[in-house]
Amino acid sequence: MFKNNLKIAWRNLWKNKGYSLLNIFGLAIGITCAAIILLWVEDEVGYDKNFAKQDVVYYVPTNQQYDGEWRTFFQATPGPLAEALKEEVPGIVGAARTKGETLLFQVDDIAVNRNGRFADPDFLSMFSLSFVEGNMETVFNEVDAIVVSQETAQQLFGEDSSAIGKVVKINNEASYTISGVYEDLPNNVTYGFDWVAPFERFAKGKDWMKEYGANFSDTFVELSPEANFDVVNQRVKQILPEKTEDDETVAFLFPMKDWHLRSSFEGGKNIGGQITYVRLFSLIAIIILLIACINFMNLATARSEKRANEVGVRKVLGSGRKGLISQFMVEAVITAVLSAFVSVLLLKLLVPQFNLLIDKNLELSLSDPVHLLTLVGVTLVCGIVAGWYPAFYLSSFKPVEVLKGARRTKGSAAFIRKGLVAAQFVVSIVFIISTIIVYQQVQHVKGRDLGYNKENLVKIPVTGDMIKNYVPIEEDMKASGLIESIGLNNSDILSGGNNTSGLEWQGGVDTENVLVSVRNITSGFFNTAGMEIIEGRGFSENPAKDSTNIIVSESFAKLMGSGSAIGKTVEEDYPVIGVVKDYLYDDMYGSSDPVIFFNDPSEARFMYVKAKSGSATASALAAMEASLKKFNPAFPFEYEFVDDAYDAKFKSEKLIGSLSQIFALLAILISCLGLFGLSAFTADQRRKEIGVRKVLGSSITGIVALLSKDFMRLVLLAILIAIPIAWLLMQNWLEGYAYRISINAWAFVIAGAIAIIIALLTISFQALNAARVNPVKSLRSE
Amino acid sequence: MITIQNLKKSFRTEEVETLALNNVNLTVEEGEFVAIMGPSGCGKSTLLNIIGMLDNPTEGSYNFAGHEVGGLKESQRTQLRKGNLGFVFQSFNLIDELTVYENVELPLIYLKMGKAERKEKVMKVLERMKIAHREKHFPQQLSGGQQQRVAISRAVVTNPKLILADEPTGNLDSKNGIEVMNLLTELNQEGTTIVMVTHSDRDSHYAHRVVNLFDGQIVTESQNRAIGAMM
Repeated sequence: MFKNNLKIAWRNLWKNKGYSLLNIFGLAIGITCAAIILLWVEDEVGYDKNFAKQDVVYYVPTNQQYDGEWRTFFQATPGPLAEALKEEVPGIVGAARTKGETLLFQVDDIAVNRNGRFADPDFLSMFSLSFVEGNMETVFNEVDAIVVSQETAQQLFGEDSSAIGKVVKINNEASYTISGVYEDLPNNVTYGFDWVAPFERFAKGKDWMKEYGANFSDTFVELSPEANFDVVNQRVKQILPEKTEDDETVAFLFPMKDWHLRSSFEGGKNIGGQITYVRLFSLIAIIILLIACINFMNLATARSEKRANEVGVRKVLGSGRKGLISQFMVEAVITAVLSAFVSVLLLKLLVPQFNLLIDKNLELSLSDPVHLLTLVGVTLVCGIVAGWYPAFYLSSFKPVEVLKGARRTKGSAAFIRKGLVAAQFVVSIVFIISTIIVYQQVQHVKGRDLGYNKENLVKIPVTGDMIKNYVPIEEDMKASGLIESIGLNNSDILSGGNNTSGLEWQGGVDTENVLVSVRNITSGFFNTAGMEIIEGRGFSENPAKDSTNIIVSESFAKLMGSGSAIGKTVEEDYPVIGVVKDYLYDDMYGSSDPVIFFNDPSEARFMYVKAKSGSATASALAAMEASLKKFNPAFPFEYEFVDDAYDAKFKSEKLIGSLSQIFALLAILISCLGLFGLSAFTADQRRKEIGVRKVLGSSITGIVALLSKDFMRLVLLAILIAIPIAWLLMQNWLEGYAYRISINAWAFVIAGAIAIIIALLTISFQALNAARVNPVKSLRSE
Repeated sequence: MITIQNLKKSFRTEEVETLALNNVNLTVEEGEFVAIMGPSGCGKSTLLNIIGMLDNPTEGSYNFAGHEVGGLKESQRTQLRKGNLGFVFQSFNLIDELTVYENVELPLIYLKMGKAERKEKVMKVLERMKIAHREKHFPQQLSGGQQQRVAISRAVVTNPKLILADEPTGNLDSKNGIEVMNLLTELNQEGTTIVMVTHSDRDSHYAHRVVNLFDGQIVTESQNRAIGAMM
């Protein structure tokens, strides 16, 4: 019987090629889309899963209270905390201070920058490093030791030679001896590192790190598997207040399994993060699959008249309803399986493009049992979901009625079919509206006045002699004629960090509780970044001249009370000589903390260079490189355009924007395939009516209008339903941003118009074909 | 074999109720060949559908081979139909996607018969109907007469006790029509009971007995003297 079902299913598909192609292609798009999303979800939820101790390793952030508000900080634990946690908190079996750095590795002619961590020995076992050379127990026996990833070792010493015992020059000054090589970490880890060196080496000579006052390091701890998280976490929260007698800074445990997906905090509490998008896109995958399945249902029930006779005959010959249901289910599953094959081909083509879009390295691997089983599972579910309704509907036909040729066009099936078409268009229109609003929001934020000019602005990490040779570098770059100005800063212009509290200043009230960002810059920085001094003056070119003078941001000046801030002092010794217009950093949607600027290049970490407008980018970069090669020859030239880094800040918005654009396109494409098929069947069913109308004098336009009217009503209904849904969804999404657009009615008008035009084009193609048929032909065939 | 007593069948729409069969009493003996005649809309097909267990009567009793069929559910009727009844339709009702062989094989599959036995039975009946050379053809590739021979093959392949034929020659030319009627007569002579609905006087002469229906009631019943093949 099953064989018979298979045979007839295959012959049916083959006989109705157009219909089968619509179904297969529609389902294939759905499966492809779902598969791409699932690959992305797999990558996202797979973060840090490679670490064997994922369930027992924790990061230690701190919650700090400012102005009555709790804020969460990373890289903000004091040096002695790790040891205290290990010794004083029962259940903690390992703890490590760490500090992330980018180091220049030099071996002979090879010089490469690598990110990594200075860390205490416990770190190695917490991250379950698998050593291909060296032994985890002994690699940190010497303070000048360093362990590197396999890729780094191969880059420095080639593939064939052992790296153990080899000496590398770091940052053109210190020497480290390779004591171990570990297997490369996969791409989807939250805290990746290409090297690890003993924290002791980093801490050498930095006695301030032994104090509880300096929050600078990342602390990681490992709990024993038997430990009760709540009990341990409760104790961890008590440690810093005990040690510092300040209950406004509290450390807590942040589980490794949440590092990637739940990294957002608000008011000191975890509020999720990327997990929202994982859930959202998983839901979207299901919705897209569903609208693809709806196509199948619609086309199958629309074709029911053609199958009715067969159902009747089979029943007369002894088939039960169950047998017919299984026959139609087999047909649906075969269609889904064929769609899956098409989908695999589409995935091979599309996944690399998708990777470019989202900057990932996703890959469908049919030899991976998880991928294969998921594909098989999605295919079967699709076949079953798509097939059940037609199967139940078709198998319910009574042989007496269908063999008599009674038409079954009216009734519940037609109603459900219309409902399903409307549902497809609701989804499509919601996606179109979302795409428009996400685009508007991103443009709105990107168009915000940042307080600086990111055009032609290049950020170069400070290495080697760049501070020492700052003046000649500046002169040399400017002499090229391509560079307008340069400046140093101890912080990234786009980022937060390096802040303090507890300061006092003239005109301020309750100033101890205000978190203030501190920036050490050179006089050229404001000009380079295009920041505007709105009162007073900038720094002198000679740092010694303005060594105690400060410049404050506009919002800091406001905290100094009424009247001009110029001349007022901070901590009594630091008079304000200038006020710079507020600028936006860290949170591009919110407002930034007040800032104090010092004229001090000694701690600079970044050099900002403004290329002259109109100077070709490549030649300006060449000029920068030439100057740096001259005055800082040991280090490779690395740079980043500030506007690129700025764009990267909108990564998740860009992702949701791009994805909703793709989903909108796919949803409308799938819906149109369905509409195309349905309008073809409607035209076919009404061919006699069309013939009669034409004989009685109806024009082609009249016929097209007649056939399009019903479908257009559905699309209009879908627009009406989609608008409030999209409004609610997007309003909810926008509320996550402090700086946001208000939703404009035009988004709905445009989306509605797009849906109407596309639907009209789809339907009128079939309607025109039907209207052009010679009535003699259609009436004769009746 | 068939005993129908006080049988009524009405069809109800939202506005009207139509009485298709009104107090029909009919007995068909085993081995009989009965023709049901009457004008369009008189209830012939409705009666045949009830006899064929495709439909239930609204009132009255229908006894088939000792089973009361009147109140059975669809699944029970399907079970009783299988193997006992064969159908021949005016429009053949072959499944376009199946070959001649597969169409004839279908009722045997529903009887869960083994493959070898199926093959033997199907080939036997196809040869008997002189259509075996077309076993791999699809219905659209055959003439009307050939299609009806396939349909009769399908109806008799299970060796049913009763064959119900609804205007079996309605879509055929006279030559093919006579051929089909001769086949049915042959089957009847071998012991199969046949109930046939027809408009054709010529076809009715093949039957032992002609039942005339009018407005849902049996108005006359007549015995045919000339029985058997006419040409």
